[in-house]
Amino acid sequence: MTYTLFLLSVILVMGFVGFSSKPSPIYGGLVLVVSGVVGCAVILNCGGGYLGLMVFLIYLGGMMVVFGYTTAMAIEEYPEAWGSGVEVLVGVLVGLAMEVGLVLWAKECDGLVMVLNFNNMGSWVIYEGEGSGLIREDSIGAGALYDYGRWLVVVTGWTLLVGVYIVIEIARGN
Amino acid sequence: MNPLAQPIIYSAVFAGTLIAASSSHWFLTWVGLEMNMLAFIPILTKKTNPRSTEAAIKYFLVQATASMILMMAILSNNLLSGQWTMTSTTNQYSSLMILTALAMKLGMAPFHFWVPEVTQGTTLTSGLLLLTWQKLAPISIMYQIFPVVNTNILLTFSTLSIMVGSWGGLNQTQLRKILAYSSITHMGWMMAILPYNPNITIFNLTIYIVLTTTAFLALNLNSSTTTLLLSRSWNKLTWLLPLIPSTLLSLGGLPPLSGFLPKWLVIEELTKNGSLVIPTIMAIITLANLYFYTRLIYSTSITLFPTSNNVKMKWQFENTKPTLLLPTLTVLTTLLLPIAPLMSPAP
Repeated sequence: MTYTLFLLSVILVMGFVGFSSKPSPIYGGLVLVVSGVVGCAVILNCGGGYLGLMVFLIYLGGMMVVFGYTTAMAIEEYPEAWGSGVEVLVGVLVGLAMEVGLVLWAKECDGLVMVLNFNNMGSWVIYEGEGSGLIREDSIGAGALYDYGRWLVVVTGWTLLVGVYIVIEIARGN
Repeated sequence: MNPLAQPIIYSAVFAGTLIAASSSHWFLTWVGLEMNMLAFIPILTKKTNPRSTEAAIKYFLVQATASMILMMAILSNNLLSGQWTMTSTTNQYSSLMILTALAMKLGMAPFHFWVPEVTQGTTLTSGLLLLTWQKLAPISIMYQIFPVVNTNILLTFSTLSIMVGSWGGLNQTQLRKILAYSSITHMGWMMAILPYNPNITIFNLTIYIVLTTTAFLALNLNSSTTTLLLSRSWNKLTWLLPLIPSTLLSLGGLPPLSGFLPKWLVIEELTKNGSLVIPTIMAIITLANLYFYTRLIYSTSITLFPTSNNVKMKWQFENTKPTLLLPTLTVLTTLLLPIAPLMSPAP
């Protein structure tokens, strides 16, 4: 399980390197999808099946679909991939070289302890309350959110609505 | 901005500040700051032109960066201490990052570059909101976390803010930029006293908001955005000529006016705490502030700039802008000093 987590983390960071080297938005969105899926798998690996599913559904199912759609609408004729320009290529190569160095450090010089520590932090990533014994603990969180966290839901929901409203107000033109 | 959209946007700005100021939980504080920042962007682009769009983008980038740093600090604090309470952010690195993020949001010295640029890009009324209301949420957070803030770094930020605000305004002819630099200086004064007596910070903020509101409303009457435009107000709004100098001198902190009150209290409190060098430096450098206000006063009401004859006919057009708040605010700006014993915070 530790090795799975290590592998997933490496793929996650490589995805981040992929979009932070600034290719065209459509390719950036592509690696963002990869990173998002792998991020959900990391949470799943820590034991949070419900949280992983929620992030997958909302982040990839909602946000990334809209992002992909809008970037596809605004796509340029010759989108810039990682091999198209020297700046992007150098960015990717530098990022990948640093990641390879980190992996080698973890493998050779006892850096695996850090990975193990991160794996043991699963209790921080996943909230483990007192389970009722009938349903999984992590899905109780959704009930708690709507029970004693209801005003938090109101505030966050209102904030998100205002966010959409403001984006429309700014972008609608005259 | 669409008039139908206005109520929701303004209520989001105000609700964001109130949520951030009244919350004791870091997460809701952050949500309030985000809400406030997002809702302020359409206010900055009220007049749609490339300059206001640029200002809104600059504002968004800086505030979003500060919010991210704040979130990072909150999460690392939560990871290390396991709690979300604002007043017990005990980890020193977290509190240092929070201080950095809030200094960015307030526009304090090493992170001050966005303030004049954003203020210059918007209308006078949006600039007024930017320099007054938008300071409330970060300062109320600072007020709550002041015991855990690193005093040396806070004092460095404050002294740097005062220096930058005073020197930066010297060569400006744009009134909004001058007021923005004046805001940077005032932020320095507010933050310098925070570790010693945070009530004076709040008092200083109150006086600063009254003074800045008066200045912006007085400039807004004639839509004066440059020194030259302000120097032409003599034949349109003659009664404004004694008011603008007194407001500006009050902003500079000249003794018989109410702007002197917070400076007096700050210097007194710092001296009581055995700190003599810092208030001396602060007081001396703020004199440069007074210099560029004096230059404004000179070109506004002491001398007469050469103008074409058409300009002198402007008095024929009646003033249409409301002056509802201006009398009260002018009185508060100039005459608050005698009631100092009532308003000075309890020791």
